[in-house]
Amino acid sequence: MTAYVLRRILLVVPTLLGVSLLAFALANLTPGDPAEALLRRTTDHPPTPEAVAETRRDLGLDRPLVVQYASWLGDAVTGDLGISYDTRRPVTAEILDRVPRTLELAGPAALAALVVALVLGVVSAVNRNRWPDHVLRVVSVAGASMPSFWLALLLIMLFSLKLSLLPVAGREAGARSLVLPVVTLALAPTAVLARFTRSAMLETLGDDYVRTARAKGVAGWRVVGRHALRNACIPLVTAFGTSLGHLVSGAVIVETIFLWPGVGKLAVDAILQRDYPMIQGFTLYAGVAFVAVNLVVDLSYGAFDPRVRLARSPAKT
Amino acid sequence: MSIQRPDRPRSSRAHRAAAMAVALALLAAACGGGDDGDGSAGDASTGEAGESKELRVGFTQDQYVLEGADANLGAYPLNTNVVETLTYLTEDYQVRPRLAERWELIPPTTWRFHLRKDVTFHDGQPFNAEAVKVGIFDRVAQRRGGGTIRAGAESAVVVDEHTIDFTPTSPNLRVPEQLVHPQTAAIAPGSDFGTKPIGTGPFRFVEYLPKERIVVERNPDYWGEPAKLPRITFRFFPDANVRRLALDSGEIDFAYQVPPPDVAALEDRFTIAKSEVGAYEAMYLNSHGKPPYDLLADVRLRRAVAYAIDREKLIDGALFGHATADQTWVPPSSLGRHASAVEGFTVDRARAGSLLDEAGWAPGGDGIREKDGRRLKLTLVSGFPSAEVHRPIPSFLQSELKKVGIEVEIVERPDSASFQALIDSGEGDMFLEQGNQNDGNPAFLPVLLLYTGGTGASAPYQSLFAPGPTFDELIAPALTEPDIEKVREITAAALHEAIDEQVALVPLAGIYRIYGMKESVRNFVPHPSFLNVQWGAVEHR
Repeated sequence: MTAYVLRRILLVVPTLLGVSLLAFALANLTPGDPAEALLRRTTDHPPTPEAVAETRRDLGLDRPLVVQYASWLGDAVTGDLGISYDTRRPVTAEILDRVPRTLELAGPAALAALVVALVLGVVSAVNRNRWPDHVLRVVSVAGASMPSFWLALLLIMLFSLKLSLLPVAGREAGARSLVLPVVTLALAPTAVLARFTRSAMLETLGDDYVRTARAKGVAGWRVVGRHALRNACIPLVTAFGTSLGHLVSGAVIVETIFLWPGVGKLAVDAILQRDYPMIQGFTLYAGVAFVAVNLVVDLSYGAFDPRVRLARSPAKT
Repeated sequence: MSIQRPDRPRSSRAHRAAAMAVALALLAAACGGGDDGDGSAGDASTGEAGESKELRVGFTQDQYVLEGADANLGAYPLNTNVVETLTYLTEDYQVRPRLAERWELIPPTTWRFHLRKDVTFHDGQPFNAEAVKVGIFDRVAQRRGGGTIRAGAESAVVVDEHTIDFTPTSPNLRVPEQLVHPQTAAIAPGSDFGTKPIGTGPFRFVEYLPKERIVVERNPDYWGEPAKLPRITFRFFPDANVRRLALDSGEIDFAYQVPPPDVAALEDRFTIAKSEVGAYEAMYLNSHGKPPYDLLADVRLRRAVAYAIDREKLIDGALFGHATADQTWVPPSSLGRHASAVEGFTVDRARAGSLLDEAGWAPGGDGIREKDGRRLKLTLVSGFPSAEVHRPIPSFLQSELKKVGIEVEIVERPDSASFQALIDSGEGDMFLEQGNQNDGNPAFLPVLLLYTGGTGASAPYQSLFAPGPTFDELIAPALTEPDIEKVREITAAALHEAIDEQVALVPLAGIYRIYGMKESVRNFVPHPSFLNVQWGAVEHR
């Protein structure tokens, strides 16, 4: 197991190298000069060519691209992701300030999505082709298709404007501030996970051991909960891992609408400002987040299926 | 190999149950009542009877710079009135004394400022010439190029305790007009403009949470009339829809930049305050382009474009009536009585058609004009400050120009950086911008964007849009004329040349600044430049 984990961690390095190189290339291919974007932000007018040239020199943008990337990489391995062109603060500090805010939303949203999806998926599978199944399938398609922007505004209009139950945006109302953004964030993954759960459950409910359990007189809920659900969890966990990775990387629209100063909004602002160090720093963070989540997901398979656990251990005969 | 299923320890069932219980508890906590903060529809803290209560303001995006020479917390673009400038800009673009009581030009280029004597900073430091040297001029000198005022390390010289001389590094006779900008505000020597601004204003800095809010409180020792509001909380709402919803729900008491489409829905329940024209919607025409963007080199085509547009319809339809058809480009009040020198164009499609006929462009089979096998197709680039700001104006312009046989391809750019990239490369015929005037110098924009002879010229703009040598001759004296009234006259004449004669740009509308507030908010004066909004007299009962 330890060797497996170490191998996976080592594989992160070439992955992150590739991702950072891709981000660097794409950022530099995007039209727009970071020096001009920076100067525009602090003045009301287009900057002079002289000011742009001076700023480019100050930011090191006059160096060849290869040199720029190599320099950034050399600093990145020591944990220094550079200075944001936009805020002038260390990129690492900016990201670390924002990650907890994103996790404030991502954690509850992921948990809510998982719990609700499990329930919906199981109910749907158990009632296959009956009205609960039809209703839940329509609901899950709608949930997966609904734009989060639109949903967010609808929820605000209902719960904040009409019912005056919850705040419109911001974090000042404590736990109540979490409700609308978490619900908005959780909807799409709930819909996707519910469908995965339904499909996986239908497959396991048809397996021989389930039929055997039923034949032996095991109660219905125990058949579903103890025998079928656990085996249906592996594909569900995989899908959950992907959703969790997206959530942890930051939800731009939700963070923008609900004024949540998370890492997703940071990334979009960096792109609009051509803040190359921040773009690359965020890309690294997102890469690490996905890799970490996938590693945890892989390791969790053993909890659901001991055969996986044994396959990773040295052979025992 | 044989597979053996290990026995599950009994405790795993209890662990799973405990984990599920914890998860459900977390979910319940998130949905249940938490700490009561500034929740929805709540009113802010109330002062004593008869006093104003706290005001909660919704602004747009947080764009404060917190580090380096450009640091501007509390000043720009959201001016919280913590810091003040030597001069200030009135709502009709006149420059008046503030921390400087008066000023004079000592030829050839030195400005002498006589400072107000009864002022202290929030930390008790005296406001005097030495403080102005350090807190304004030396600070601005560290900015690129010395900022707009062109400050250098040796520019400021203390004459006596309340008199200071300022000599820009290159001749600049518009210094008093430029000093209205909050980037040139006075901060206390030794204070940090990026973390805790200490100024002289009617409000003191309390706290700042990046991207969330900035809070200020009344300065009881203010040198002028004390502020009525005990406290202001400014919250940042980048999305205009959410800002409007926050106003609607009572979460904020005041909102900047109410979108024009929302005004009708709000005005029966809220006070809508509109300023004089402070921003402009204009289309710059590329008269020096290389093929295929060379069509507008012909002034007849440029005139035809100007005549083809029904501005009243644009204002009523796309801007919901919250703009004027002024075609002065800069706010008319900044030109004063000389604004009438700029005539502009009224819609006249027959005349547009005649000009195009005269230029050899004949209507094709589908109504789009052609000449020597080439279609009359122009590229309209929309993107400053963003394409979103202009919608649906590009579509409107496309439809208007089609009526006279001009095909328009719309190219949208999501942000100013990518818009600027197309200006740099010259890939476009018409460029749509929405900008604003934030200082008292009427010649600022014409010189910056159109004048080819000045040292501060922005070359990409001039290379595409320069109106020509006559314009340069007309505007040049504005750089060396000390009398601001004369500068207005000079600028108006130059704009007549640029807009009416050369059609280097087509001003489409003068845009009002629209502010929305609860009816309990009183005495707010809508300023066309939201950098110069003043909160001192505002009450919230």
